[in-house]
Amino acid sequence: MRPSTAEFLHQRFLSYYAGAQIPAPDALSQREWGFLFFSSRDDPRMRRHIGFGTKDELVEYLRTMAPAHVFYSTAYYDDPAAPTMSAKGWAGADLIFDLDADHILKPPFPSYPAMLSRVRDETRKLIDLLVVELGFAEHELQVVFSGGRGYHIHVKALSVRQFTGQERRELINYVCGIGLDPALLLRPAAESSGGWHGRQLRALEEYLDWLESLGESEALAHLQSIPDLGRGMARQIWKRRRSLFEMTDASIRKVLRPLLSEGNDAWRSRIREAGVMADEPVTTDIKRLIRAPGSLHGGTGLRVTVLEPRELEAFDPLIEGVVFAEREIPVEVVRDCRVSLLDHDLQFEPGPTRVPEAVAVYLCSRGMAEVGGVAP
Amino acid sequence: MRPVFDAKDLARYPFLQEAQAKIAGSQLENLETFLEGEVGRRIIERATDRLESAISLPPQALNDHFREFHARIPNALESLYAYGMARVIASCTGDRTVIERLIGYEAWRSAFYLSSEADEEKRTEVARQLGLEVSGEAVPVVRYVEMVAGLREPLWRLVNREVKGGFVRVHASELDVLLRERIRVVIRGRGLPGVPPEVCALLAPAVGHVSGVLQSQMLRDLGPIDESRYPPCMAALVAALAGGANLTHMGRFALTAFLHTIGLSTTQIVEVYQRSPDFDIEKTLYQVEHISGSSGTEYTPPSCATMETNGLCVNRAALCERVGSPLGYYRKKKGGPQQAGTAGRDPPSGSSG
Ligand code: SF4
Repeated sequence: MRPSTAEFLHQRFLSYYAGAQIPAPDALSQREWGFLFFSSRDDPRMRRHIGFGTKDELVEYLRTMAPAHVFYSTAYYDDPAAPTMSAKGWAGADLIFDLDADHILKPPFPSYPAMLSRVRDETRKLIDLLVVELGFAEHELQVVFSGGRGYHIHVKALSVRQFTGQERRELINYVCGIGLDPALLLRPAAESSGGWHGRQLRALEEYLDWLESLGESEALAHLQSIPDLGRGMARQIWKRRRSLFEMTDASIRKVLRPLLSEGNDAWRSRIREAGVMADEPVTTDIKRLIRAPGSLHGGTGLRVTVLEPRELEAFDPLIEGVVFAEREIPVEVVRDCRVSLLDHDLQFEPGPTRVPEAVAVYLCSRGMAEVGGVAP
Repeated sequence: MRPVFDAKDLARYPFLQEAQAKIAGSQLENLETFLEGEVGRRIIERATDRLESAISLPPQALNDHFREFHARIPNALESLYAYGMARVIASCTGDRTVIERLIGYEAWRSAFYLSSEADEEKRTEVARQLGLEVSGEAVPVVRYVEMVAGLREPLWRLVNREVKGGFVRVHASELDVLLRERIRVVIRGRGLPGVPPEVCALLAPAVGHVSGVLQSQMLRDLGPIDESRYPPCMAALVAALAGGANLTHMGRFALTAFLHTIGLSTTQIVEVYQRSPDFDIEKTLYQVEHISGSSGTEYTPPSCATMETNGLCVNRAALCERVGSPLGYYRKKKGGPQQAGTAGRDPPSGSSG
């Protein structure tokens, strides 16, 4: 990034923070903060271990420094500004789920808007699961558009604040469907269509349909490629594909274990899809920094936006996450790209052009354009 | 009407409010005289025995142990005080393993009595005080997760349960185990008594003995440090270091926690990192000390699942199929026939799942 581009972005962020209402997280004085700044050097160093006693101090800091990225700890500390993690005194942490396009989609990635809408679907699925199955109240959930490629869900319930990483793992594994035991299918359930019992059952039906569609030789080849599943068992499964559940419990158990294991890619991907594709380490890490709502994402210039769960449906991050105006700015585009923002849908080729400020900020933060030698 | 617990009940369920009150009420005027008196000495001895069993017995041996030594409680009051004293001694050791093992031991012990509790009212009241009133065979998700975090079998994983509206369905036959785990959560949540240094000084012989027992148990569990038994993932991390690669944060964390747990000293761990070309002693020391718990929290090495999520599970070997963590691999790998009794067992804390 050219110094002039860094300066342009810094100026724009300054102007945003001068007037923005930043919602401070609850228990502000117990949070650690971390910041990254615009710089033309490629070595972003985070300034962290910072604490603010009051909201005014935080706002003051943002107004003077206008950081490129603003993070705060999901954890609560006795002394958040202490220089080492051990001296901070961990006192609990919000429960966080992270939904990011990188974990949900495989390259080649679709356009940014398509990507965001796919992640939004996944977020909705997660909210549903958190409420209907895990029993969290909607008002305990804070949905946050990350300003980048996804959404975060902050669960503010006191009851989980003290959860260890391992306890959080139980929840994230539930959400993602990790560690599913195929024998679950055989256990009597009060309601066989609900929860993971139902999801697993439906995934199995789909999987068997898919197997069928491969035809015998391809299906057998697939089955034999599954670890721990021998030739004999492959034949047996193919033969019994329509009547698996008519076998005795003992023999079906023997079949299901290797068949519905993590080692069977075609099965695993179906299970992942049936669950929610959240990024596990974010949930299990109890000392993580997360983007602060109300701040700007320095990689897009979009605002990290808080939503009520029911607002998600109608939320358009490429409209509501935009905080800059229409004033025209000259920029030099450095690579082919396409941008949909507000009501613009623009196609760019490398070279100089003039674009609305909001688009300029977006292009520059993403490294798709530079601002000329003179600061506008 | 709430049932009345007698002294024996309190000795069986020392976490009950009534028992706690009794222990608290026993504040003796002169601790020094008490500890040196005959009763005091006996209580210290019983407490030390408890800790010794807690440290050296694997969970599957505990019920037999209780049947043999605890089925009858000859002096209920002394037994109750011994429970309190064991906590005091554990607190003086300041060692998380000792503390966790004692908690596990006490949970199994009370569960042992509870499973054969003839008085249904008492059983219900104990469950009530534990905050585990199971209505319609459903447990709130949060409670449930706290209880099963230490259990290994896939059957207990939340993902393998029926979960609806914030409740997990459990079966009547599972209640004994859940009560036991709930006792563990409750005892752990209470924390240990803060013991003034003067009192720890008075107990120094017992504290020293317990620390010694732990030392030798750990060495027996893990055997001598042997690089040839490292799981493939850890061997790869060591090799990567030596080859000049920069480990990710997770990689460094996993390796350090692993090496620490199998018994390498801080200096030995730093030596491993020294093989890396961009070795920075200060940074390494800080990280090693942080991860190995000089700050109070010890980190357990990650499980295979976590390793895999982080792309650190590489070159899987046949043995990998049978272990849940790199540490498990290390334990199993060295579990020759002469060690069949101890190798690969769970600590009573069950926290290695
Ligand atoms: S399976 Fe576990 S022990 Fe084996 S290589 Fe992977 S992480 Fe290491």
